[in-house]
Formats: sequence, C-alpha cells, structure tokens
Amino acid sequence: MKARISSVFFLSAVFFITIFLSAFKQAAKTPWVAPDKAEKMTNPVKSDANSLKEGKELWIKHCQSCHGKAGLGDGSKAAQLKTEPGDLSAAAFQKQSNGGLFYKISEGRSDMPSFKKKVEGDEDIWNLVNYIRTLKK
Amino acid sequence: MKKINYLFQNIPALLLLMLCTVSHPVSAQDSTAGTSSKAVAKPVKNTFESNWIFDNQTVMVPKKGTFEMDIQHRFGTVNNGYSDLFGIYAPSNIRIGFSYVIKTNLQLGMGFCKEKLQWDANVKYAIIKQKSTGGSPVSITYFGNLVVDTRKENNFVTSTDRLSYFNQLMIARKISSKISVQAAPSLSYFNNVPGYTDSKGNILPQMNNAHFALALMGRYKIGSTTALVVNYDQPLTQHPANNPHPSICFGLEMTTSAHAFQIFAGNYNSILPQNNNMFNQNDYTQGQFLIGFNITRLWSF
Repeated sequence: MKARISSVFFLSAVFFITIFLSAFKQAAKTPWVAPDKAEKMTNPVKSDANSLKEGKELWIKHCQSCHGKAGLGDGSKAAQLKTEPGDLSAAAFQKQSNGGLFYKISEGRSDMPSFKKKVEGDEDIWNLVNYIRTLKK
Repeated sequence: MKKINYLFQNIPALLLLMLCTVSHPVSAQDSTAGTSSKAVAKPVKNTFESNWIFDNQTVMVPKKGTFEMDIQHRFGTVNNGYSDLFGIYAPSNIRIGFSYVIKTNLQLGMGFCKEKLQWDANVKYAIIKQKSTGGSPVSITYFGNLVVDTRKENNFVTSTDRLSYFNQLMIARKISSKISVQAAPSLSYFNNVPGYTDSKGNILPQMNNAHFALALMGRYKIGSTTALVVNYDQPLTQHPANNPHPSICFGLEMTTSAHAFQIFAGNYNSILPQNNNMFNQNDYTQGQFLIGFNITRLWSF
C-alpha cells in the first residue's frame, strides 16, 4: 500500500513538473517584436569579407555555445536554457529585417544577454548581423 | 643545452625587437581595423583577450560596467617529480580578485592572496589606445596597486612595514589579427625589506626598497578563441643580496563570451606582481617551473 502511495505521489510530481516546465517553454515562445524604429534601421556596414570574418569571430566567441555552429539552436549550452535558441538558418528567422536583428542582439531577452554591453560598438553588432545572414539555408 | 641557454638569454631582446620594429600602420593587417568607413581611425580591438597574461596585466581595460572575478592558482615547482605529482600536491598559492570598470578606460579592483595573507587594491587606466590608421601605433595603460601584508604583528616593527606598492606602464601593439606584443616597465616598492646585522652590529638591508623590472609578452592566436601566450620578466635593479631571478612563462589561453582560462608553466609563484619581481627565487635554468592557471569570469552591467 505504501509503495502504491509513493508511486502515485511520484507520478503526480512528474506530471506537475512537466506542466510547470511546459508553461515556461510556452512563455519562451512569446513573440519577440522589435520596435518599428529599430526595424527600419539600415545596415551601415557592408557585408564584405572583412565584416564576415569579424562577424564569424564574434559568433564563435559569443553566440555559438547556445545557437550552435550553424545557428540551428544546438549549441553545447542550449539544453540548459529556459528559452529555445531557435533555428537561425530557417526562413522564418531570416525574413526579419537587419534592423530587427540588430535590436535583438543589442538588447537581449531572458537567457540572451544584451550584447551592446559586451562588444565594443554598433559596428560589431552589424558584423554579427551580416554573419547571421550567411547561416541561411 | 648551450643553445637553449642562448635562446633564453635572447628572449627579451627578441620580444623588444618585435615591438619596436613593427611600427607601420596596422590597418592593412588588422582584421579589426577595416570596415566600410575607412576614413575614420578607430581603436584597435582585442589586443589581448583578458586583463591578465599569467602574472602580468595586459593593456586591456574591459568595457565600462564590466565586473570581473579572478581565480588565480599556482602549484608548487615540478622538481619533486611524481612524489608530489609535479607540484600539484605541493603547497600552492591562490588569489581571488574582483574588479569593476567604473568609467570608460578606468578599472578599480581588489583581491586577497594566500601568500603572506596579502590584500591588494588596484587601479588600471587605459591612457592611449592603438588606432587603426593615423592614430597611435601602440596602446598604453597604467596599472598600480597597494598591497597590505596582514600577517600577525610580530612580523613587523611598525604598521607601515606591511605596505608595498607596484606601478607599471604597459605599452602594447596588435601587429596583426593573430599577433600582439607588449613591453611593460615596472617599479615595485616595499616599505620594509629583509636586513642583516654585520660584524659591527649595524643593521643593513639585503635588498633595496625599490626594484625596477621589465615584462615582455606576446600572444599568437591559433583559433578564434584559443591563443598561445608567452611572457618574460627581467629584473633590472641589482640588490646587495638575494637578487631575484628572471621568469619565463608559456601557456595556452582560451576565451569565451564571459570567461578567460589560461593554463601555463612558469617560474613565478607569488601572483602579486611586486612579490614576483622582487623575491622570485625560482630559476628557469634549474628547471624550477610550476604549473598555474587563471580563470576570469565577466559580468556586464
């Protein structure tokens, strides 16, 4: 009898924890919309070999551990995150404007840090935007 | 062996030569320099990836609002071999440090160290930054500290005997996206130095209170986040006795968005720079190397 009560208690706990975690996942899927002003920003940094090289270096140092090497959301730290890193190579992601990406990288949200506090200036963030465009499938 | 000794003797000269002779604009080589807006000279980024290279500071001052925690560990020398697992089980030295970039180019810090129960307060200020084109060909940063030896009173005559100071000017150049070099003259000063009593009963100092030294370091990036790093420290002041030995250090640096990790072999075990420069008795010609590591964690506010 005791064993049965323990099993019921254990299964209930698993059920509630699953519901609790899925609620978090749901919250993480809340759309992230950049302000209009940011969306309309134009990219002042030309996507040339130098910018892409810079962007790749920044990607490896700051982004790869969560977003993965190809932006698929399969980085080594991805499983520990509250929020899903998403698939940055997908058309749904890539259809965002350059300004929108710049805003999100700059400001961050939840697990994603604000990179305007980490990198030297706007130019580095635009370099990252340029590199992220190369992840498109 | 002779060849190795010859190489060691010439390391400072070679590093200094690298720093002095490569003086043409970095823009053509530096990946951080070139952008679409070529006309504007911009500060060269990431000359070094961390505040530290082994026991010395670099010219880098992190971005304003960056809080850093340092964990620095030095094992014992490797000379006892397997009996203490090449120094890993030997008595070690540890420093825990914290710093915060309170204003652009200005960092304040403090820390505590196992050796002599020392506490330090330090300041670092980036005076000049290397520019991509048309600006300064080098970055220059000042570092200074005040250290208090907090051991029991019976180690000192007066309370000011506890104090020592360190001042260093770091001059660095990012030669290419992979290679950076730095030369850093320094002045260490101890209020109290070891003494001895001569045959007439006079108390004389074994060492001068002030000690000049020169640190030379270089970095070669072997990947986006990995670099080979090397450092050489040359004492300049000649003391009546107990002259310190120079130090060689070489190792690997790995960086991430919020960490830097360095593992290395070198001769210094004191961590605090004035103690290393003034009192190092580990001699690289005798193979008195030790393994050490630095871990830094950055938070951006």
